[in-house]
Amino acid sequence: MSWKFPKLIPRSAPVILLVLTLAAATGFAAVSHLVFRYNLNQQARGRRLYQQGFAAASAARYDDAIAAFRAALTCDPTNSQYQLSLARALRDSNDPRRLDEAESYLIALWQRTPQDAAVNLALARVAAHRGSIEDATRYYHNAMYGVWNSDQDANRSRARIELIQFLLRKNAPAQAESEIMALATALPPDPASHLQTAQLFAQAHDYAGALTQYEEVLRLNPDNPSALAGAGEAAYRTGNYAAAQHYLRAAVNAHPEDADSRQLLATTELILRTNPFQSHISDAERNRRIAAAFAQAGERLTECAQQAGLDLKAATAPATTAAAASFTASPLPTLQSRWTAAKSELARLRSPGETDLPDAIMDVVFQIEQRTAAACGQPQGLDLALLLISQKREAASQ
Amino acid sequence: MSNLASANPSPAASSTTTPARLQTPRRLFSTLEGVFHEEVFFLILSVFIGIFSGLAVVCFRLAIDWMHLALLGPLPQTHSWRLFAVPSLTGLVVAALVLHVFPTIRGSGVNQTKAALYIFNGFIPFRTAIGKFICAALAIGSGQSLGPEDPALQIGASIASALGRQLEISREKLRLMAPVGAAAGLAAAFNAPISAVLFVIEEVIGRWSAGILGSVVLSAVSSVVIVRWFLGSEPLFRIPVTTFKRPTELLAYAVLGIVGGLASVAFAKSIGYLRPRLKALPRWTQYFQPALAGLLVGLIAFLGAPQIMGAGYDSMDQAMHGQYAWKVLAILAVLKIIATTFSFVSGTPGGMFAPTLFIGAMLGGAIGDIERFYFPQLTGSTGTYVLVGMGVLFAGFLRVPMTSVFMVLEVSGNYEIIVPVIVANTFSYLVSRGFQTIPIFDLLTRQDGLILPSLEEDREEAILRVEDAMLPVPATILNAQDYVDANAHRIQESPDVTFLVRMHPSGWNIISRDQLQRLFQEGKGELTLGSVLPAQSLPSLYPDLPLDSALRYVNDYALVPVVNRANARQLEGVISRNSVFEKYGSRRAIEVPSTT
Repeated sequence: MSWKFPKLIPRSAPVILLVLTLAAATGFAAVSHLVFRYNLNQQARGRRLYQQGFAAASAARYDDAIAAFRAALTCDPTNSQYQLSLARALRDSNDPRRLDEAESYLIALWQRTPQDAAVNLALARVAAHRGSIEDATRYYHNAMYGVWNSDQDANRSRARIELIQFLLRKNAPAQAESEIMALATALPPDPASHLQTAQLFAQAHDYAGALTQYEEVLRLNPDNPSALAGAGEAAYRTGNYAAAQHYLRAAVNAHPEDADSRQLLATTELILRTNPFQSHISDAERNRRIAAAFAQAGERLTECAQQAGLDLKAATAPATTAAAASFTASPLPTLQSRWTAAKSELARLRSPGETDLPDAIMDVVFQIEQRTAAACGQPQGLDLALLLISQKREAASQ
Repeated sequence: MSNLASANPSPAASSTTTPARLQTPRRLFSTLEGVFHEEVFFLILSVFIGIFSGLAVVCFRLAIDWMHLALLGPLPQTHSWRLFAVPSLTGLVVAALVLHVFPTIRGSGVNQTKAALYIFNGFIPFRTAIGKFICAALAIGSGQSLGPEDPALQIGASIASALGRQLEISREKLRLMAPVGAAAGLAAAFNAPISAVLFVIEEVIGRWSAGILGSVVLSAVSSVVIVRWFLGSEPLFRIPVTTFKRPTELLAYAVLGIVGGLASVAFAKSIGYLRPRLKALPRWTQYFQPALAGLLVGLIAFLGAPQIMGAGYDSMDQAMHGQYAWKVLAILAVLKIIATTFSFVSGTPGGMFAPTLFIGAMLGGAIGDIERFYFPQLTGSTGTYVLVGMGVLFAGFLRVPMTSVFMVLEVSGNYEIIVPVIVANTFSYLVSRGFQTIPIFDLLTRQDGLILPSLEEDREEAILRVEDAMLPVPATILNAQDYVDANAHRIQESPDVTFLVRMHPSGWNIISRDQLQRLFQEGKGELTLGSVLPAQSLPSLYPDLPLDSALRYVNDYALVPVVNRANARQLEGVISRNSVFEKYGSRRAIEVPSTT
């Protein structure tokens, strides 16, 4: 059996070329139609597979999601949404081998639409998975300043918060703080946003910034218990004990089961009761507080020395070499000497001319509290209060 | 085309018989006739071949996708009965079609296209295109471990051949239609015009020919334009970041080349061993061979390696992005060799391009991962090794070293890895050539009882040059400005019978002892030799010219001067009839290669 074309074409070059052109145009039209129909079918199939993948990804069945998204992409290979979803599923599957492929899809998308915020955010998350601060920061910034399809401000804010949380996880508080400050400048008048920003400030150890944000929350919603507790803690950390007492009391009243706030309130009140530098107290009260603090410091010193195995009452160093070395290396004997020396001065506190003496005595107290905190661990009760007062004084003098 | 011109009346004749209002179109028509001489017409035809081949390949790719979706479903399946039922049952249908309707479409199609060029004057039945389209789409769509590129090549060649026959172009041009169509088909299937052109030159035409290069390039480019128009310009793979930093890493790629070369040999030898044996089995078994191959492929897929089904581009893409551990990659490479060998030797129509790339990709990834495990300082990513691995198998198995390099560069669009690719491909090619003398397509052709020229043989054939047959500069060289009697006196001591004469100001001539003595006896001794010799000077040769070029002169002249290219008056030697024939005679007679 042999097939042959019928000889229909006249033997003339221009005619042949005309016929070929017509045949090519006809073929082109026919294939266009075929491809159009095929693409329609494929796109419909792709959408079904994408829905399957989306459902699987939502249920954290990432292997199924990846298979479905891959199949959707074979139906519609240039669909950005499918590529983005596949990349996200690959990234979220927690398989380090898949990060490369996820990144490859995202980079391809990024090259096509570098301004697409969703793509940049996905790339930022891949970089965050890899732990690359530089890349993650770059892509998060791209996402913040990129184009979002909807809810632009909220999405930008979310991207920045994600970056801040990433930086805090990676122990980069300075970078995090600058991002939080940028976040704080464009917050909507919404207690939740301010509360979240305040918490981020607190995580970055910027308690002054945190207190400002908590106060803003309380301005918008005065009974917010989280803001009360947060503001109390922030004020406590900044040494603003009067404000701390105010907020913590309100927090404990609103939430009596809040043990942390209760504990902080107790310490705050103790500080306020025992601080000899508190304004608006009489000289007698100040002297009483100094005397109490001095006695407490002496007890703390003795306890710490016992804990360290040192006998501070002994006049000279022990006979054994090891004990002698430990004795001379420790700051406690010196402190004991200073405390003993200061004790004799204590009686002169009531004399009207001794204006520098309170500071000198309290200086011994603060040194004892700071050195014993370093040598014997964080103190409790009045010792803790004295330690915090010392830190506040030190910060104020600096 | 000669009959195209003669079929039209001359402008002068038409002007006498045509009304004036028809004269302008007729004149234009005649002018066009003059413009479209055969060479130009053939180039334009190449563009149309590219367009038609491109359209056919678009439909072919859609057909494969559609078959795959219809038969195996859109989602990858594991442990489903479909995996082995579909390729087996489709294999039965394909076998029946091949045996009863399309007997010329078995196998890849590359060697058949080459045979059309060299043996059948460019004739490929159009039925081949139809049969290849249907059967290859069925086979590949059902998951047989074969690729669409070689069938696309044959479809393009078949369309071109049918078009050439229909247009009754000259036999010389008709013979060239097959490679032109082949380039178009392959370029469209591979979306890589440079690789397609090089492959057609290296494997189908089998020799470098400037005459056809323009047509091949035009058809390849136009077909790629058509495919990209309809199917988009997305590359076959999403290329990951590829790196090559330290030259010492070339050792790692050389190892990949050696392993790839050995894998190529294993792959080629298993096909070469099994194919004639399966063909020799009783005819009734051929109804079941594709089905059994399909069953084997399906079972491998069912047992956990569905990646080996079909062309496998998706899996290559995933391998490139480090989705598989090295053990999985190595297992997939081995399984693909087995699956493709059985799919191919069973006579199922389909190509070996994609499987070759698949095996290379998996092997490259596996070797790369192993090397990086033992030498963590290696900087190449898995994707880099996968890409290089593709080229390695291409060079080793298909034995097309130039195509293999350009294919990787064209597919990856990255010239950073050119050095690793060249190094690895060279090792692979050398290892493969060392263990498997005959390239795979030549082997298949010889198994079918045909012997066709090959570029590899051509490359290895030692060319005889003029310098090989050149005799030393003769002791006596006459001068055209000397008198005849002086020259006659000079030759008395010489044993030669023919003498070269240095002409003034340039050129050479020749005179025999008898002629010179006759001039002397005729009383022309007082004349200069130049004045009595014919004005036309003797042709000269250069030492590096092929010896064949000397054949044109040695019958007419007893001596032909061989001169320096920089200075035509400087004699390097002479060529004589005897010296040429002695050189040819000393060369071993060309053996007719065996068919096994």
